[in-house]
Amino acid sequence: MDSTEQTKLVKLRGAGGGIGGAGTCEVFPPPPPHRGRGWRRARPGRHQSIGGEAMNENKFLSTDPGTGPMEAAKPLPFKDPNFMHSGIGGAAAGKKNRTWKNLKQILASERALPWQLNDPSYFNIDAPPSFKPAKKYSDISGLPANYTDPQSKLRFSTIEEFAYIRMLPSDVVTGTQCG
Amino acid sequence: MAAGPGRVFPFRDARWAPDPVLEPGAAVRTPQPVPLVIDNGSFQTRAGWAAPGAAEPLLRFRSLAARSRGARGAAGAETQVGNDLGSPEPLRWLLRSPFDRDVPVQLELQELLFDHVFQRLGVSSQGCVDHPIILTEAVCNPLYSRQMISELLFECYQVPKVSYGVDSLYSFYHNKRQNWPCSGLIISSGYQCTHVLPVLEGRLDAKNCKRINLGGCQAAVYLQRLLQLKYPGHFAAITLSRMEEILHEHSYIGEDYIEELQKWRSPEYYENNVHKMQLPFSNKLLGSTLTSEEKQERRQQQLRRLQELNARRREEKLQLDQERLDRLLYVQTPELDPLGSEQSLEDVDSINEFEPLFAEEQPEVEKPVAAVQPVFNLAEYHQLFLGTERIRAPEIVFQPSLIGEEQAGIAETMQYVLDRYSKEQQNVLVQNVFLTGGNAMYPGLKARIQKELLEMRPFQSSFQVHLASSPILDAWYGARDWALEYMNREEGWITRKDYEEKGGEYLKEHCASNVYVPIRLPKQAPRTTEALASSKVLAASVSNSSDQV
Repeated sequence: MDSTEQTKLVKLRGAGGGIGGAGTCEVFPPPPPHRGRGWRRARPGRHQSIGGEAMNENKFLSTDPGTGPMEAAKPLPFKDPNFMHSGIGGAAAGKKNRTWKNLKQILASERALPWQLNDPSYFNIDAPPSFKPAKKYSDISGLPANYTDPQSKLRFSTIEEFAYIRMLPSDVVTGTQCG
Repeated sequence: MAAGPGRVFPFRDARWAPDPVLEPGAAVRTPQPVPLVIDNGSFQTRAGWAAPGAAEPLLRFRSLAARSRGARGAAGAETQVGNDLGSPEPLRWLLRSPFDRDVPVQLELQELLFDHVFQRLGVSSQGCVDHPIILTEAVCNPLYSRQMISELLFECYQVPKVSYGVDSLYSFYHNKRQNWPCSGLIISSGYQCTHVLPVLEGRLDAKNCKRINLGGCQAAVYLQRLLQLKYPGHFAAITLSRMEEILHEHSYIGEDYIEELQKWRSPEYYENNVHKMQLPFSNKLLGSTLTSEEKQERRQQQLRRLQELNARRREEKLQLDQERLDRLLYVQTPELDPLGSEQSLEDVDSINEFEPLFAEEQPEVEKPVAAVQPVFNLAEYHQLFLGTERIRAPEIVFQPSLIGEEQAGIAETMQYVLDRYSKEQQNVLVQNVFLTGGNAMYPGLKARIQKELLEMRPFQSSFQVHLASSPILDAWYGARDWALEYMNREEGWITRKDYEEKGGEYLKEHCASNVYVPIRLPKQAPRTTEALASSKVLAASVSNSSDQV
């Protein structure tokens, strides 16, 4: 397995950026030989696909595999240098998904787990929507507002504010309306 | 000139000093490794040793990292963490945080933060971090996140044992008044969210806690939007760091929001209480909108043009009159002397004619000059006037509808949580309402909570509201207290053996921890070529076994 990988690597080198022969290799150029051992870290998202290749390549190039977070600095002594996160994309994700899951995706997959009815979970404890009607405040001054401008739908509380609203350029009006 | 007592404040725009690499004493390793306490917050990370004499966390830095691309040809991307960044503003678009809301999701950035902590604290053990770690996590932390963090700590740093706890509960533990275990209702308002946590007999009643997804971050963004709309000319100067400074130092929470707003209606109150934030002077003025200063400029230009025109006309008229005068003089002088007196009279008359004209011109020239006096105060143009903004921004946790959020505010959520208990339990809970968290430091919060409780509790029932002694640091202090007490006990610690047997999402409960729900997650295997095939098998087998559970 090792030698075939290595021969494939040699072919890649020769071809200068051809498509990797191994099934799991992604379409991207092999690391240029002059780049340091920190090359893996420079493209954080691509760990998983090139994991195997890079490990073998390190042996091939006989550089020490310690990779600290700093590119050309010495690795930190208290870390395991060969550590790789298993979570990028998750085990079930394909080659395409190389980024970390964001909170929404994590919660979506958590919902699928076998929770009991009363179990506390991150999405269970969201506060419920408000039952009380929202109080209306002026968009200009924040004072309680009883009136709304029909043209721009902004709320105002005094006559001066109304004059000010009518004078505003349209981009400021749109910005205020998002509130 | 600042009018009346309305004060002018400069922005401090403080820069952060980089953390030095500390040399811990030998006491950290002998007789046994001292636990390391890390309060991993979405706003700030606080870390230090759990030594009995530790007064403060040794490290406090913003939980941010920036990977700035080096110049082409240089060593490559340089990563700076926390206080090494100096100031967040120039790198604002490159700043990344491992957190999504209050949960760490970007584990590589989390690794960078841990590296920073371990390196600056002077961890010297080779190949592993030889100290037990106490780490804070979110309330009801998703199992996936805990699994990833456990993997990072046990596999990358080879930590001997880990304990997870909730920061608000540690803070509650630190501030205990009577004997432990006690009960209370914790209101913890942080950077990204605000929690209402009922604690009964020292344990978190997790199924009844609630989380409002608003905190200091949303308040800062709201304040930024308000000020940018009010002062479109200073768009770039209204930065998030300055907004945070305003929130920390110039904002407060009104005891009765509507009443406070009515106070702000009166111009006198406004003048006395407006805080004017002085921006640094900048030469460039946005050309797109017609600011009042621009209008003044235009008016000045027009007046100048009119003046020139008038001046030219006067010149021409003067010239004509001069010619006339010359002609008259010429006609007068070389000839008939007996006619001289008549002529001179005529001249005097004609000259007299001119005088009033000259006299008239002068005041006309004076008037436009007086009107052009600049009414425009350059210092005031560069000031941001904070009036009602001082109470509007922190109010969003009480009225999320201010920014369009549907969730209920703190008061309504408190009522919702209390209603899930019996009357006796409600009474017990409100006797110890505890406020903690960075976003709870606004002056006036305690009075506001007391007023809300007065409104929602039965007539003439009693309640007690306490504020944490140090809302930001108490979580770290509580974790340190817990570590010192439980250092040599087994409860509450997840050892490496536990991690390997029961998976990364395993949690050992203790007085300040989440509630553990025993659900197994399929282990995310590292994607090396050899491991891929085996991971598929593993996932299939684990999911089979979890179905049976």
